[in-house]
Amino acid sequence: MKNRAPLASACKQYEEDLVLHYYGENGQDERRKIENHLADCLSCRSFLDDLRRLLPQITQIEKMPQSFWDNYYRQTVAKLADYEERKFSWRAFFAPMRMWMVPAFGTVVAAVLVVGLMFGKDNIKLFVEPRAEKIPQEIMADKNQLEFFESMEIIEALGKLEAQDEPKTEATPTDSTRVSGNAQIV
Amino acid sequence: MAEQEEVRDEELVALAQQGRRDSFELLVRRYMEKAFHIAFNFTRDTETAKDLSQDAFLRAYANIKQFDGRSSFYTWFYRIVVNLCLDHARRHRRVSWESLDQMAEESGEQRQFADSTFAPDEHAIAGETKRRVDKTLESMPKKQRTAFLLRNHQGLSIADVAKVMKTTEGTVRVYLHRAVAALRQSLVEFV
Repeated sequence: MKNRAPLASACKQYEEDLVLHYYGENGQDERRKIENHLADCLSCRSFLDDLRRLLPQITQIEKMPQSFWDNYYRQTVAKLADYEERKFSWRAFFAPMRMWMVPAFGTVVAAVLVVGLMFGKDNIKLFVEPRAEKIPQEIMADKNQLEFFESMEIIEALGKLEAQDEPKTEATPTDSTRVSGNAQIV
Repeated sequence: MAEQEEVRDEELVALAQQGRRDSFELLVRRYMEKAFHIAFNFTRDTETAKDLSQDAFLRAYANIKQFDGRSSFYTWFYRIVVNLCLDHARRHRRVSWESLDQMAEESGEQRQFADSTFAPDEHAIAGETKRRVDKTLESMPKKQRTAFLLRNHQGLSIADVAKVMKTTEGTVRVYLHRAVAALRQSLVEFV
């Protein structure tokens, strides 16, 4: 490698085309156009020469010995075999199950339901029956309210007793007396 | 064996899809160097490159039935390698490229530039060039670097690079030009 600037400047409008030209990625017309330009332009020629010199160098990487590739291939094949073995071992595990898995699963679910209904009736009620609505605080009976209602009951009871004490002999006024009474008042 | 080597990728893939692992092993033999090299270009570490490229083969084999043949096997497989490398780069961003210089210095790994015909000062220049190239590649946007590595290092056509990167050929051309321009910029100062 020469001790100088590896890439010379190219004409700005041709730079991208020169890169594509180096990679052989431009069309026939573009290639012809570039070649015509290169014939007249020294800086673009230098640019292309530098690409040809530099880019293959940065591409190179350490060449690995054959033993590395043999080992690489062996390891990869072993990994593939291991992967396949694992895949098939899972299948082998599940394959015999498939035949009886569905009815067995159904039976287990049914059994769990029956046992649950039999022994957990009260518990199930909690889930099945809707909970009683919470009584608002303002209409809940407190101590004073209870006393009030109790006193009301006593008053009613007194009224009944008084009614019992009234003499049964006092006849209820007949229609005629009621009419005469009314006449007297008037 | 020689006859088998002539078998086209499509036929090997079809056999692999039917469960023929030996067919896929031929694809491994066919693409292992390319897979390793692209992983190495991304990671700059032999062991990591080996692991990543082997994982790519494993993943390709596990998903071989999903390969629909719309692109070539080689494009499809490269996409797997590149994606694994990009994932790895995301996780270990600072390690790979910075460790390169140390590795090169410690192991005297300058062979690609250190041809026996080079004089000692040329070795130094080659070493400096390599460092600058690596530094420039490291600082490039990820997509730009990927496009450059696939085209320049792997020899994929721009059309294939576009397929691997799931983008347009025009975009790849722009990436490629910018990558070369960046390399030029870094190296033109080195007189």
